[in-house]
Amino acid sequence: MSDEHDELRARMRAADPASSLPRSDPDRVARLLEDIMSDTQTAEPRTDGTPKRSPLIWLAAAAVVVILAGAGAFAVMNRGQDSRTPTASPQDSTTTTELRAPGAGATTGRCLPPSAEALSGANIAFDGTVEKIDNDLVTLRTTHWYAGSPTDLVTVKGPSQELQQLLVAVDFQDGGRYLVAASNGGRVMVCGFSDEFSPKLQQLYAQAFGQ
Amino acid sequence: MSTDEREADRRARFEELARELIDPLRRFLARRTDPATADDVLSDTLLVCWRRQDDVPDNALPWAYGVARNCLANAQRGERRHLRLAAKISVVAPPDQATRAPDAADDVLLEAMAALRPEDAELLRLWAWEQLTPAEIATVLEVSPNAASIRLHRAREKLRDELRKIQQESGHEQSREGSGS
Repeated sequence: MSDEHDELRARMRAADPASSLPRSDPDRVARLLEDIMSDTQTAEPRTDGTPKRSPLIWLAAAAVVVILAGAGAFAVMNRGQDSRTPTASPQDSTTTTELRAPGAGATTGRCLPPSAEALSGANIAFDGTVEKIDNDLVTLRTTHWYAGSPTDLVTVKGPSQELQQLLVAVDFQDGGRYLVAASNGGRVMVCGFSDEFSPKLQQLYAQAFGQ
Repeated sequence: MSTDEREADRRARFEELARELIDPLRRFLARRTDPATADDVLSDTLLVCWRRQDDVPDNALPWAYGVARNCLANAQRGERRHLRLAAKISVVAPPDQATRAPDAADDVLLEAMAALRPEDAELLRLWAWEQLTPAEIATVLEVSPNAASIRLHRAREKLRDELRKIQQESGHEQSREGSGS
């Protein structure tokens, strides 16, 4: 009886329409999970009936704030302007570009697959390795710049919850190598644009920035 | 634990759970609907898992299949009511766009599955494709393990009957074709 069952099961399994389904793409999975977790996060406290965000709205909304600082000497805040020029500290030869985590809810809505075209809109893009992760600050040492004026270090700073969201989105790990892009306002682009280094993503960066 | 830490912990647990569930759920949905609907229902299902994280049992997968099944039913009720008859007729044959069955499609089996009642065909899919035990099937279908076991037994018998019937009929057809032209 059980042989008969096994035979029937095997015959059905041979006709399984999902047997040729490829494994899920980790980038897509990451974006999906990020989408789901931020969806609830913003949906719960949001009781004001704010309309649902359209797909890449966060990209447009991202153009807000850049803080550029040189070893804490000063910080410049610009709104809606291109302020990618890094500022070197007069005392210290190490230059730093400060970026911000995307705002809470920035990742609400669906992500489109990262494209070179959308990525080329970023005015800061670099290849770097995480040197340090503190509560609200991720520090990366850059190795290559695709866009923006090169600095030695880049810090990503944000309110803790926002940074958590970014940590989930990009999954910065100490010592890991990442490709990171930020849009006009110095907010890190998530949704698969900034991610752990991979040859595929590197190719996208090279394509987007003509390198 | 601070609120932030709790939130981070919740996220970490969900990520771990979701990564376990995603591929089985994708296969579950690929077997039952077209790719676009499968994508939507996968998101819906994971969203339910995220919101009801505290309700997820240790053996999460059968429970998640149950959620996916309900989400799929909702999606189909809402948007594709008019297609339900078609879906009923071709219970097992996935829609055109769905992932293709292996090259040498077992047409006889597909025909036999399509001849079964949808409930019986679903039981057999859960048994053979998702490879669930009767107790797990019971979780998915929200019936008692005993009922699942009995129904599964009957469904297998019915499938065998259908297979025999089709094989006999096709035997006749072949001989007709042979003598006809």
